[in-house]
Amino acid sequence: MVKFRRIGLPLLSLALVAAGCGGPAPAENTKTLTLWYWNRSLDDGLIQSVEQKFPGIKINAQKIGGDFKSKLKTTLAAGTDGPDIVAFNDWVSELFVSSDRFYDLYELGAKEIEPDFLDWKWNFGVTAEGTMIALPIDTGPTALFYRADLFAEAGLPSEPADVQRELGTWESYLQAGRQLQDHFGGKVKLLDNVKNIYTQFNAQSDRIYFSTDGEFIGDKPESSVKKAWDLAVQAARMKLAGNADAFTSEWNAAMNNGSIASFVGAVWMKEILEQGAPDTAGKWRVARAPGGDGNNGGSFLAIMKSSRYPKEAFDVIRYLQSPDNQIRTYKNINLFPSAAKALDDPILQEKEPFFGDQATGQIFAESARGVKPAYFGDKFTNVNGIALRELNSVALQGKDPDKAWRDALSRIRKELLR
Amino acid sequence: MGKPMLNPEPARVPSSRRTEGGLAARIWKHRKEYLAISPFYILFAVFGLFPIAFSMYLSFQKWDGIGRMSYNGLNNYRFMLTDPEFWRAVGNTLLIWIYSTIPMLFLALVVAFLLHSSFVRMRTLYRVGYFLPNVTSLVAVAIVFGTIFSNNYGLLNYTLNLLGLNSIEWLNRTWGIQLAISVMVIWRWAGYNAIIYLAGLQSIPTVLYEAAKIDGASGVQAFFRITVPNLRPIILFTLITSTIGGMQVFTEPQVLVGNDGGAGGGGLTIVLYLYREAFVHNYFGYGAAVGWGMFILIALFSIVNWLFVQGRPSHDQGVK
Repeated sequence: MVKFRRIGLPLLSLALVAAGCGGPAPAENTKTLTLWYWNRSLDDGLIQSVEQKFPGIKINAQKIGGDFKSKLKTTLAAGTDGPDIVAFNDWVSELFVSSDRFYDLYELGAKEIEPDFLDWKWNFGVTAEGTMIALPIDTGPTALFYRADLFAEAGLPSEPADVQRELGTWESYLQAGRQLQDHFGGKVKLLDNVKNIYTQFNAQSDRIYFSTDGEFIGDKPESSVKKAWDLAVQAARMKLAGNADAFTSEWNAAMNNGSIASFVGAVWMKEILEQGAPDTAGKWRVARAPGGDGNNGGSFLAIMKSSRYPKEAFDVIRYLQSPDNQIRTYKNINLFPSAAKALDDPILQEKEPFFGDQATGQIFAESARGVKPAYFGDKFTNVNGIALRELNSVALQGKDPDKAWRDALSRIRKELLR
Repeated sequence: MGKPMLNPEPARVPSSRRTEGGLAARIWKHRKEYLAISPFYILFAVFGLFPIAFSMYLSFQKWDGIGRMSYNGLNNYRFMLTDPEFWRAVGNTLLIWIYSTIPMLFLALVVAFLLHSSFVRMRTLYRVGYFLPNVTSLVAVAIVFGTIFSNNYGLLNYTLNLLGLNSIEWLNRTWGIQLAISVMVIWRWAGYNAIIYLAGLQSIPTVLYEAAKIDGASGVQAFFRITVPNLRPIILFTLITSTIGGMQVFTEPQVLVGNDGGAGGGGLTIVLYLYREAFVHNYFGYGAAVGWGMFILIALFSIVNWLFVQGRPSHDQGVK
């Protein structure tokens, strides 16, 4: 026992010493920046290159899994120990009410790089008061994905340029759908679901639910909402939808066995389609969307007020989102650039076998340049959710569209008073 | 203080005994034992008591989860009682509860009765088999049931087509969603309740059955006249636990049809509604209020169940 104690004590103290040395002993001038992002929101290799590019800066990059937004909000509510740099998804406008929790990037020198970026995307990160809380990462320009073989068989134009010319309006697109469905005797549907028509029509608009001063305009004639609603109802009446929601196995199956001939989607749907419908490789094409160019989603980077090194953090995010590095990110993980200059890169001219050797990058680059600036407001998710639920009742349960529209509006008004 | 010193012994003994009899002193005396059992109370205080108290406080506040809270009076409760979606969620929850609980408990009783009967071999295997669904991951179950009930390419529709019937878009119909959720609940919990019933069955003395047999009672008569009345307290227990569980159905609809409860909101249960309002729409104060609304509903239902099962026992108890 005595013997054991004699050995034990030095061992214990040795262990304590070792533990003291074991941690990441910070060199005198090393500044550690913690970064929160989710899988595939940034290029991992690019993040690693930051430490070589900026000596003295250590990047502690943490992939946050699960419900990223909830975790971020929990951290904001707790008030301390947040990351220095944090990624936002397209819910950036929900954080405008907490804009004081983030550095105004304009004060850190963002004005200098503003001309490099697509202005509509840039403005998504700027509040109505003119503070910039988030720097763009990627964009989601939209286009029409369609099955060239099915279109040709039904006697519709099948070359992207012809499709754009002849199916350039929503009206002509829906009419083409009738021709297509008649030809296939109802076995093939024109599109996936009517909610997507509503979403995409609004994504092409510059006035949706709110004016820039926060007033609800969804019931006013200048808003796209009612037109989008009517168009979606029309598509439902014409039975043009396969009633398959995106991101479901049902949708994948419908795409893979060719029972849906087209849909309007963002550039990131390419990957989802390639993985979900491998049997249709080579048969898809991409054309500019009916009704115009729009955007779905796309993420951002922000610097939290709790960060001790805002200047360094800004240098890092500026580096991560430089036009050259956006091209690199596009090459590696397929994030579509938000820097205007990056859209001219030859990489976007590359042919893609899944799309019959079409260079779809060009189409999406043109679309990205054509997106109109829009204002979403911090209640967009809630209000849009109400409208989509009512629209779904029309499409699937046969609810009277006029009643559904009135119900949606009254529920939205109630929502806005909360 | 001078006088009592004359006779210190008798005075001190009762007084010291009195302090020993005080609550704090008694706790102090048994501090080691209390320390040993303290983990539960500490954990309960942190993860149980505090959240309960805080959610009560929160239900009178307006809070988006990040910014400052502001006092909101009874507005959260008022909004809840006037929101048609809340009442739809209550209706959905009750429907799903009825669709699932009644067949499930009946099925469990039959399974338990069969497992208890003498002609079944390899009982342990069956017991494990019936209990197994209960320990499978709920998310995995919901995904598998999602592919079974899938609108166009599901297993169920495939079978219907093989039989020459038309496909049904199960998950695009309100009742279809509710049916899918109910089947999932039944599949997962019937075995669990069967095991509980089995334990109850084993406690019924066999002499009762023997006496019934001598009197010429059939198996069905024995089931309804001996088994069911004797199991009454256990049925009450399973009914109350199923009510509490049934009122809190969440993962099944969330994975199956998403945060909005699918087509026509058919799968929008109370907890899914609470989750959506608090964590998707960021009305945390309102979410807390819905939680308390749900508490009242569950309490009411448990009382009703208790009255229903406990209400008319005097006549049947004669069997004992």
